[in-house]
Amino acid sequence: MARQPVPDILAGTLDLLILRTLQHERRHGWAISERIQQISLDVLQVNQGSLYPALHRLEHQGWIDAEWGISELGRRAKYYRLTTAGRRQLAVEAGEWERMAAAIARVMKMA
Amino acid sequence: MNFRDLRLRVRAVFAPRRVERELDDELAFHIERETRKHVAAGLNLTDARARARARFGSAALAADQCRDARGTAFVDTAVRDDALRTFRRTPLVALTIVGTIAVGLGLVAAVFTIFNTFVFSVNPVRDPDALFAVERVAAPNSERVRFTWPDYEALRRETDVFSGAFARLVDIDSRIEGRVMGGELVTGNYFDVLGVNAALGRSLTPADDVRHAGRQVLVLSHRGWSRLFASDPDIVGREVTVGGFRYVIVGVMPERFRGLGLAPPDYWAPLSLMGQVRPIHAGREDTIGIEIIGRLKPGLSRTTALAGLAVWASRGAGGISADGRPGSITLEPRRTFVTLSAEVMLVFLPIFFVFGLILLIGCANVANLLLARALSRQREIGIRLSVGASRHRIIRQLLTESLVLALASAVCAFAIARLVLQVTVSVVLRTLPPELAENVSITAPGTDWRVAVFLVIAAIASTVLFGLVPALQGTRLDLIRTMRGEVTSDSRPRRARNALIVVQVTASALLLICASIFLRGALRASTADPGWRLADNVIVEINNEPFRQAMVAATTADPAVTMVAAMWPGVLGQPRAVFAQASGSPQAEGHRSPEAYRFVSPEYFNLLDIRVLRGRAFTQSEASSNAAVAMVSESTARTIWPNQEAVGQVLRLEADQHSETRRQDEPTLPSSTFTVVGVVRNVAGFRMAGYPEAGVYVPASPARAETDLIARVHGDPEIVRRTLLERLTSIDPNMGLVLTMRTLGRMETYLLQVGFWVTVVLGGLALILTVSGVFGVLSYLVERRTKEIGVRIALGATSANVTALVLGQSLRVVGIGLIAGAALAWILATVLMTTSAAAQIGGIVNVFDLPAYAASLLCIVIACILAASLPAARAARIDPIATLRQD
Repeated sequence: MARQPVPDILAGTLDLLILRTLQHERRHGWAISERIQQISLDVLQVNQGSLYPALHRLEHQGWIDAEWGISELGRRAKYYRLTTAGRRQLAVEAGEWERMAAAIARVMKMA
Repeated sequence: MNFRDLRLRVRAVFAPRRVERELDDELAFHIERETRKHVAAGLNLTDARARARARFGSAALAADQCRDARGTAFVDTAVRDDALRTFRRTPLVALTIVGTIAVGLGLVAAVFTIFNTFVFSVNPVRDPDALFAVERVAAPNSERVRFTWPDYEALRRETDVFSGAFARLVDIDSRIEGRVMGGELVTGNYFDVLGVNAALGRSLTPADDVRHAGRQVLVLSHRGWSRLFASDPDIVGREVTVGGFRYVIVGVMPERFRGLGLAPPDYWAPLSLMGQVRPIHAGREDTIGIEIIGRLKPGLSRTTALAGLAVWASRGAGGISADGRPGSITLEPRRTFVTLSAEVMLVFLPIFFVFGLILLIGCANVANLLLARALSRQREIGIRLSVGASRHRIIRQLLTESLVLALASAVCAFAIARLVLQVTVSVVLRTLPPELAENVSITAPGTDWRVAVFLVIAAIASTVLFGLVPALQGTRLDLIRTMRGEVTSDSRPRRARNALIVVQVTASALLLICASIFLRGALRASTADPGWRLADNVIVEINNEPFRQAMVAATTADPAVTMVAAMWPGVLGQPRAVFAQASGSPQAEGHRSPEAYRFVSPEYFNLLDIRVLRGRAFTQSEASSNAAVAMVSESTARTIWPNQEAVGQVLRLEADQHSETRRQDEPTLPSSTFTVVGVVRNVAGFRMAGYPEAGVYVPASPARAETDLIARVHGDPEIVRRTLLERLTSIDPNMGLVLTMRTLGRMETYLLQVGFWVTVVLGGLALILTVSGVFGVLSYLVERRTKEIGVRIALGATSANVTALVLGQSLRVVGIGLIAGAALAWILATVLMTTSAAAQIGGIVNVFDLPAYAASLLCIVIACILAASLPAARAARIDPIATLRQD
């Protein structure tokens, strides 16, 4: 009966995508999901219901840091920024991802 | 968990509103921004907002998952969901739950408090971890040989494992200025080694404790100061008389200092004055067993120290009887009163188990209550599930509710535990025979943080016991039917409820069986005849030989005393073992049979109503001249001379070298062969003593050293006891006990009565809980099945059928519980009888006492029928028309 959110992004990659979008600038939650959607040409749609829990989790893990700022609407919004630990984590996860993607690509091509 | 995480968690706990508001703001902003995006693309505001919401999904769910990420779910649920909200509407239910659990927890906590004092409570001295007692290991089948003063001095001189070591002699009960005070004799460095200073005045110093020149000083404990001197602030410098010598009180120790025992003695005095405080030791101080406790040098491990001591011991140092066996010395930690070991657990586990049963039964009751509530809350829970709350979350909420109630119970239990201990102590003091009560000072053991921690853990454990099943059952719902308002009747809750009743009945049966076994034991003991005349005899112990003549004269001269006899060992002492053998003619030389003997004066038999069956009693001249004559009991006579008349035979007695350790100054048999002059009736002796009474008597007179007196009195023995005590303390202020035989007879059954009352109180509680459980469940079932019963009645079932239906349903379950309880008791009894304590237990109670089993089971059956009859009667009165019209 419990409703698990349907992962619309490959399981486990949401954290990586979030960290990557925050690599160069701070963003609020909506901007993160927009950015992922735009860059992926609408292929990757972030389920918003799972975005915020992920953000909170990353914050607790110390990879991102939150601060309140004024948004483009002139309203208060919560902005997330990559921490030093987050940068290290991003490097690790990006490496992992590339290895995995390359492996899958090889299997698809040659198996 | 990193620092940032901790900071966020702390913030979530301490500023929950702010954190919640920020979360709401954050999610609201997202929807707002999304709406703006759609508006910019040309939608009107309403459509744009609707689309943004739809895309976002359940904001509440997302918020929930964010909270989960926070990891403060428990506090969150407790505070935000207002765990007690549902119970605020039904305060009676909440009170019942808290009360039931609190009684169970309180009882277990009371036991834990005692356990804690024994095992965990650290001795209040400097660095208790470095304290070790030096002990000799007992050779197999013999008593441990204790160290003596010369050993102590040799140890201090010849070893270097301790930075300081002291010796002590504990439990010196003596009458000081007419009042019994418990003292401890210690070497002068005692307080220095322990690192404790006096609260008033000073403590003892090595200068106080010089051999043969000890200063007559003593230091009071805080308890002794308040108990015996009413906390007199000017106590320092006051003089008291100890054994006829003047002692100066030089100081009072702080309240928290209890020495190395469970409770502090009343005073400490220099060990070198042993001969004055206990005149019985005068002149042979070097042979008295003392305890040696030392503080290991810093950095020295126990093993290393032990090796050093073993070398010392194997050199044959340490004066007398140091054998060269390796491992003949051990170091026992003195950090706490006793060290946690298998034996300690063997004593405490059964007690925990018995008291824990009440908690278990209480938990079963509460679980039943919650199961019933969960059914009535199905609608609420169903709605929450259908709007997207996860089952996990609802279970968590239900468990949180239970935990909050359990923690509230734990708080009450803390008070209940104190109450139970204090009431027990005061009841024990009040019911003890007065001559014992005035000499003992029992106080309820103190509580500390460990008890609080224990209670919290126990509360969490009981939450699992009573809350988990109802939470799991209550959330296993058929959503559609629940929404329609139908109450799902799964068969599983019924099974769960029945199982709970079985558990309760089993536990009650076990407790009540214990109670009736104790009761029957006590009844048997109270009717058992020790073979001594108890009604009007008073025992007078003579401790100090110099006063013997005056004491005997004063006792004999007392107007209330009609007759005086002497005996050794005293009534409470174990008769010494010997091998007895027929002697004289070679063909009469039979086998050696183990016997026990007493020295008694001629009046002994008459005074205690021990009839002389054949021959005669001792004469006064035989008593004063230690003549080589003896009297034997009937059964001894039959064993040694099976087919002959015992009177006139010659009896050979040989001391049993192995059976016991012999005191050096105890009376010894004047010769090895005795002429039997009389045969007397058998004497059973007190059952609690646990050893056979003497079968052989040899003559002695009251003038003989070490003997105790027994006086036949007329009038109320208790009043005579008091006047005798007063008269005798004026002769010897340091004298021993004066007891009535009646009191000793009462002590026979006292412990059994304690066992009976404890188990009967526990069994009664268990029964009340069980009965209320049975009653609650049946009432509930009848209510739930009203419609069905109505149909049955409409179809022609008589009220007898309906009553039988309801009763039958409960009795089957109760029956299973009874069988399980009786079987469990039987198994436990069997296990108990295989342990080393079997002989002792068997002598006191019969653990396979069938009538006791039957009586307690019957008691439960009757109680359960009574509990079931009310709901059954209500079911029988159901009006079929009214029930059928309901829908």
